[in-house]
Amino acid sequence: MEFKLEAHRIVSISLGKIYNSRVQRGGIKLHKNLLVSLVLRSARQVYLSDPCPGLYLAGPAGSPAVPPPQPGEPAAGPPAGWGEPPPPAAGAAWPEIEPQPERPADPATPRAGDAEPGAPMTGAGETVRGGEVEAAEAAWRRVEGPREAAEGGAGGPAGGSDGFPEGLREARRHCGCPPGAADRPGPLGACPRVDCCCAPRPAEDEPPAPPAVGPRKRGAAGVGGGPAPGSSPLKKPRRNSEEQSGGAAEEEEEEEMETGNVANLISIFGSSFSGLLRKSPGGGREEGEGEESGPEAAEPGQICCDKPVLRDINPWSTAIVAF
Amino acid sequence: MELEKTWADIISTVEFNHTGELLATGDKGGRVVIFQREQESKNQVHRRGEYNVYSTFQSHEPEFDYLKSLEIEEKINKIRWLPQQNAAYFLLSTNDKTVKLWKVSERDKRPEGYNLKDEEGRLRDPATITTLRVPVLRPMDLMVEATPRRVFANAHTYHINSISVNSDYETYMSADDLRINLWNFEITNQSFNIVDIKPANMEELTEVITAAEFHPHHCNSFVYSSSKGTIRLCDMRASALCDRHSKFFEEPEDPSNRSFFSEIISSISDVKFSHSGRYIMTRDYLTVKVWDLNMENRPIETYQVHDYLRSKLCSLYENDCIFDKFECVWNGSDSVIMTGSYNNFFRMFDRNTKRDVTLEASRENSKPRAILKPRKVCVGGKRRKDEISVDSLDFSKKILHTAWHPSENIIAVAATNNLYIFQDKVN
Repeated sequence: MEFKLEAHRIVSISLGKIYNSRVQRGGIKLHKNLLVSLVLRSARQVYLSDPCPGLYLAGPAGSPAVPPPQPGEPAAGPPAGWGEPPPPAAGAAWPEIEPQPERPADPATPRAGDAEPGAPMTGAGETVRGGEVEAAEAAWRRVEGPREAAEGGAGGPAGGSDGFPEGLREARRHCGCPPGAADRPGPLGACPRVDCCCAPRPAEDEPPAPPAVGPRKRGAAGVGGGPAPGSSPLKKPRRNSEEQSGGAAEEEEEEEMETGNVANLISIFGSSFSGLLRKSPGGGREEGEGEESGPEAAEPGQICCDKPVLRDINPWSTAIVAF
Repeated sequence: MELEKTWADIISTVEFNHTGELLATGDKGGRVVIFQREQESKNQVHRRGEYNVYSTFQSHEPEFDYLKSLEIEEKINKIRWLPQQNAAYFLLSTNDKTVKLWKVSERDKRPEGYNLKDEEGRLRDPATITTLRVPVLRPMDLMVEATPRRVFANAHTYHINSISVNSDYETYMSADDLRINLWNFEITNQSFNIVDIKPANMEELTEVITAAEFHPHHCNSFVYSSSKGTIRLCDMRASALCDRHSKFFEEPEDPSNRSFFSEIISSISDVKFSHSGRYIMTRDYLTVKVWDLNMENRPIETYQVHDYLRSKLCSLYENDCIFDKFECVWNGSDSVIMTGSYNNFFRMFDRNTKRDVTLEASRENSKPRAILKPRKVCVGGKRRKDEISVDSLDFSKKILHTAWHPSENIIAVAATNNLYIFQDKVN
């Protein structure tokens, strides 16, 4: 449990760093973001491999040695040291191999994309605002109903950024369940005990979610309802920016900095996972429309956050959303 | 009295020239300040030459790339001197995107006696001029001027982290996260790409270039380090694009030290050839390693800089300190290596005696002629009187950049916005 919280905290911090890097002067620093993404991946592995509170022995503070997410292996057990990173197939294999208790799934948990066609995240590169970041960070410390965020529409930044950290609320529940469990059916309601206070709320306005109970059932397909509507709004602005930058990128000497798209990140977290479990190079994201396929796809230089991790994060969102 | 620290004054690079006569510093505000060692006077034989400001100029300005909506910082990432070939000094300075060649020269005479202009500088009516006077050179107060001689721009998509002058003195290289370019000093509109590790699909990116340097004697060889803790030695004679290394230096990871942050702390922040060209030294977050070019599978020496931080990696990750890029330097004889740490501490390791020392760069103990007292960090148990506990370390005071005089025991240590110059005690 301790490791799960630690890992969760590290994931929050990491995402915050990636998010903040967008507004940093001088542009996105590829090296730092790459390192952060590696930490993110490690923490995700730990988080997802940690089955249940109390099943792990405490380890050295600060550097928990947790069992690797061995597919099929019971997650409980003494810390066995670091294991191999999950095989690339892990992403696609999540639904089958996940031995852990389910997190409450809300496939259509409102995300930036879902809520707002014109969600600020779309501007990904261009419309970063400090307020967004602050809102995001503030959101991480508040417990918020996903509804509010979603519909929230709190127009603009708040809506979008609230969608982003939804998966990472740090509300601690007295039942000991991982943060965020109580308030929404959304991500991180990782509460295996049905009788605890963290019972997920049923989704209200969202497309029907798969049954909320059923620990072992994490169906990628089942929760695939969300992304499509959610992703389109994000797709459009990306296409726009691609077109804009495409012209410039055609000139050889004006190679665009390869940039990932934090909006993708947000949508990954925000939406469910149809297509997210693809492990093909272009996949992993529904916006896998070749955005990494060279300079033409780059956003106007704001973010270079294309990392394998973004693909790896998909299983993460799967985990947090599925139920 | 604590002076207010200006962000722009934070020193970002320090470098002695090849004779040690000049010391250049670059800062976050894009300025370069050059210090010159004063000549030892005959009167004060025992007074070592001190460094005084010689020239200050604005090397880089902040720029805005409108196409990418991205601001380019003016911070000077690196300065490298060219060997002196005439009366003028030449150095390369670079920010994230543009390398510039600066000429620093002295002027101590000026022409006087023009009669084509009046005292205010206005052209006189030609009809009033009856003679043509040849101006004569008259002495004037020494003026040091810096002029940009070359601007090498638009060759890097990513952030430049290193520049290195080749031993042929005709070319140099600049390295960013994914590529290394070779330039000729005379040609600014072209560069050769000699290393390109950008994957076809950026999603598959797993490592970046963190530092690069030419071999001190062999103009065909260079090394570059990566974020994965590896070093590659490349030979430009082998192929035009040096994607395939000649040698690959990597130490197997110690599985017992694995943590969330293993990858970050293994990322190499600096790589330096020894003066002899036989060894390379690398700095990662917690250690300095010396490698023999003839042995690729592990370093020959590993020095712990501040291993007590190993249990604090999570906090250091949170406050971003874990991303600090410390540099390392050799002394002139390659017998001692030096690198910085936190709390304005810096460390020296004697490779022969295996002794090491921790010193502090601070105002209190930097009165002229004061001798630096070795410091010690208490890692647990009882703290002795002069020791400082790990939790009391000030992580905002970091020494990332240091330099060692090429032949004497004079070191320059940059502590945020202050530059400290220490010399060996003269007996």
